[in-house]
Amino acid sequence: MPHCIVTTTNHHCPPPITTASCYSPLLPSSSSSSSVSRFRESSIGFPTAKFHYSFRSSNSNSNRRRKVGVICMAKERRVKMVAKQIQRELSDMLLTDQVLQYAILPEAALGADRYLSSLTTISDVEVSSDLQVVKVYVSVFGDERGKEVALSGLKSKAKYVRGQLGKRMKLRLTPEIRFIEDESLERGSRVIAILDKIKSEKNTVENPLVESSDPVEDWDDEDDDDDIIYVK
Amino acid sequence: MAKAIPKKGSRGRIGSRKSIRKIPKGVIHIQASFNNTIVTVTDVRGRVVSWSSAGTCGFKGTRRGTPFAAQTAAANAIRAVVDQGMQRAEVMIKGPGLGRDAALRAIRRSGILLTFVRDVTPMPHNGCRPPKKRRV
Repeated sequence: MPHCIVTTTNHHCPPPITTASCYSPLLPSSSSSSSVSRFRESSIGFPTAKFHYSFRSSNSNSNRRRKVGVICMAKERRVKMVAKQIQRELSDMLLTDQVLQYAILPEAALGADRYLSSLTTISDVEVSSDLQVVKVYVSVFGDERGKEVALSGLKSKAKYVRGQLGKRMKLRLTPEIRFIEDESLERGSRVIAILDKIKSEKNTVENPLVESSDPVEDWDDEDDDDDIIYVK
Repeated sequence: MAKAIPKKGSRGRIGSRKSIRKIPKGVIHIQASFNNTIVTVTDVRGRVVSWSSAGTCGFKGTRRGTPFAAQTAAANAIRAVVDQGMQRAEVMIKGPGLGRDAALRAIRRSGILLTFVRDVTPMPHNGCRPPKKRRV
């Protein structure tokens, strides 16, 4: 169950998009917002948040703290657990859900879904500290067109995904989901390919006879992680 | 049926016969779970030639599930096979997990031609009851 902490210093408060939900009625004038009228101004991109606040503004005289979920600032560990669980659920949905499959791979609708033209993976999920906004980093393996199709298909199904996630996970407020393209895997792959090429060129320069089946000795200076033991 | 007990002498050399095969075309199976990635290289019929996983590459614990571990596992598995002369391969991917993407990119980087990429995640037609939902 969510642990609601009303913090005096809003240092957990993430960038301005979620300040609309960092609401603490006890604080006189925090930088985020203190009155309901300011909420209505700042909640532009949040249709659902607006719903909450407009609902609340109708009975502004009542005790605002009773309203559901918006005041919660969850603990860090819980945020991580929720992020991991969302990643599992979304990955599972990408594999099993028919609607999503048709969205990312148009040829699945024709039946040709066993030989893939592009492969979509969820590489990372970031949850804001109040569990309201979820940024999902999606990495697509394939050509340009496949990437565009997959990402636009996912973005068009964001609301559907949100509804499905709400059914699968028991959260007080299902967060808003944003899909972002993740290029880090591809960039890393390009870098490693370039390093491979340099290494093979160096080997051909040094010993032009023996070049094909070199055991890879020391990758430590070229690795992404520093403390990985590379076993041949 | 009990397995045939190998007689002394004549049947003892079956194990060493496998490593001399030359296969130009093979199948690479990638099983990518959330905590680990296993890459198995087989021939077209399904007989395993070599395999490697993130755990056998020296990673332990949570690092086995990372994409970097997946690409080292794939590179390890393929290196043993490229020497045997495999040029084309079909890839079968199973499971969710970060290893799917990373291992695929590693395979493409290694110079083996990818003919097909297939997803063979086992999908029940509503069979066994899945484990209970995790409470967060």
